[in-house]
Amino acid sequence: MILNGRGISKGLTEGVVLMLQQPFSFLGGVDPKTGLLSGTSGAEGQDITGKVFAFPWGKGSTVGSYTILQLRKEKRLPAAIINQRAETIVATGAVMAKVPMVDRIDLSLLRNGDRVAVDGERGAVDLQGVKGHRVVTSVLMHQGRVLVLKRSDKVSTCQRMWAGVSGYIEPGEEPLQTAIKEIGEETSITKAKLVRSAATLMVRQQDTIWAIHPFLFESPTDQVTIDWEHTEYKWALPSQMDELALVPGFKRLLGDLGL
Amino acid sequence: MHLTRDEEEVLTGERGPGMQRAMELVVALGRIYDADRLIPITSAHLSGVSYKTIGEGGLDFLEEMSKDARVKVHTTLNPAGMDLARWGEMGVEESFAQRQLAIIKAYEKMGVTTNCTCTPYITGNAPKPGEAVAWAESSALSYVNSVLGARTNREGGPGALAAAIIGKTPHYGLHLEENRRPTMVVEAEVLDEITDYSLLGHAVGQRFGAAIPYFKGIRPDCNGLKTMAAAMAASGSVAVFHVEGVTPYSSSQDLKGLERVRFDHQDIKKAKESLTTGKDPDLIAVGCPHLSQMEMKMLASMLDGKRPRSDSPEVWFCTSRTVRTWCPKETAVLERFGKVVCDTCMIVAPIESRHRCTATNSAKACNYLPSLCSQKVVCGSYAELMGRIA
Repeated sequence: MILNGRGISKGLTEGVVLMLQQPFSFLGGVDPKTGLLSGTSGAEGQDITGKVFAFPWGKGSTVGSYTILQLRKEKRLPAAIINQRAETIVATGAVMAKVPMVDRIDLSLLRNGDRVAVDGERGAVDLQGVKGHRVVTSVLMHQGRVLVLKRSDKVSTCQRMWAGVSGYIEPGEEPLQTAIKEIGEETSITKAKLVRSAATLMVRQQDTIWAIHPFLFESPTDQVTIDWEHTEYKWALPSQMDELALVPGFKRLLGDLGL
Repeated sequence: MHLTRDEEEVLTGERGPGMQRAMELVVALGRIYDADRLIPITSAHLSGVSYKTIGEGGLDFLEEMSKDARVKVHTTLNPAGMDLARWGEMGVEESFAQRQLAIIKAYEKMGVTTNCTCTPYITGNAPKPGEAVAWAESSALSYVNSVLGARTNREGGPGALAAAIIGKTPHYGLHLEENRRPTMVVEAEVLDEITDYSLLGHAVGQRFGAAIPYFKGIRPDCNGLKTMAAAMAASGSVAVFHVEGVTPYSSSQDLKGLERVRFDHQDIKKAKESLTTGKDPDLIAVGCPHLSQMEMKMLASMLDGKRPRSDSPEVWFCTSRTVRTWCPKETAVLERFGKVVCDTCMIVAPIESRHRCTATNSAKACNYLPSLCSQKVVCGSYAELMGRIA
């Protein structure tokens, strides 16, 4: 699975991901002599040497750029840097020390220990061993309530979890076509009207990344006939979602659709 | 970001590795800030000079760049970690001095003017109104933006060096008119002396952060503006400000609907008290930013004909080598009371090895001395400080 971000500092490299959940200052955050992270980083004692070092963004003193040069001098550089949002200090250090760097990557799609290839020129991060799937998820509304369906034991993923109407986008299919087709198959509702769609949502689940195309439909009826993929359904208020075991990303998707 | 064919060629390395790396850095910064293109600059000023700050890694980088990269525009340097001529007298260790001199040599090889000062606009690097430049050093770039009316972003040392080598900088931020307009109005009471401007700058920066203040009611001269710019940049990252009837673009600003605040003598007094953390200074240091010719004359006239007090602590008058050369008589007077130190200052020199408590009239220095040099601080006016000496 390849994630496309933006190239900041060129170079091709591979390595294992070491990820921080919080912004990072190279000055004071890492000992340039050993490559070990300090307590302020939230991952004390971890070694960044040769790692693909991922963190949301840089912070702190501009002297941090020189800390990266000092890491180079001590041969303790990370193999690459991945940021959600690059800023001057880390970008400057990365270019000066020739460390490949990519930004605009959604860090929620990475896991510590992932093996990745980073292309700093094209801004690409290749997650080796992680598969990507394109799917649609449609949310049906009827009189202010949302249709959720409980996935059966016969489906391949997320069994017994509550979800919207979902399905794989087949080659050659437009996402909206898939959405309408799946609504017919899974609910037998035929006259749902598209209200809006939202930007593709990426969700990581073990070794899979789901690229979900979200759609919101208004259903003219609350009469639903489910097929083998589900065992039950309910029309729930958006505020009741917390009581259900939902598939990953479903709450975010509701938010993206304005619910 | 759009690159011309010529710029693309630099990026692919056809003009050598030094220019290529400089272009990579300029392009990376341009991308981060969504610049649409590169624009030519007329001058640059670099931070990242003191060995205390940039270390071995920084020195390696500069030596590598200096193999084939040369600056395309007039480029000056910030203060170093020591007086480049009299470091022995300052108690600087030989090993530190050798590394510091190697840094200066690398910059010199790249064509940089190695007169190390934070006030290059006094000594020959003075951009004209409307010119685009790439300046590091927060106090100097604020002066250039606000008082000289040229345009620069808040560059880091390496970014400014890269821009100097390419002769261009990304077009974004403070290069755009709409990002230079005032965001608030400060109505200040008329102030008595230079230190008050420093304290006003400190108080405004501390309270409002990275704003663009428009000052009414004050008439600072260039020395007042210099110290005010420095203090505001240090306490609030202010990179541009306006003073009614004083700074070049103040008359064309629209103040409608802006927040208005008042600063009076009480605020100045409070700022002074809050910056003072010590009692008995063992170093008195003035010249943050570096003393101008006018300040050298003023200090010399305050001290001329007097005797050094027997209990006077060590005294530093920090200035640029050029200003010292311009002021031989004043230097002779001042040297009876202390050292006229060049190329460095009390913030970037390793004073913590010899001093505990420093007195100064600069709010910027008061702000940085505790964290960067482990000092207790006494904040006083020129008159108060000279009274401790003579």
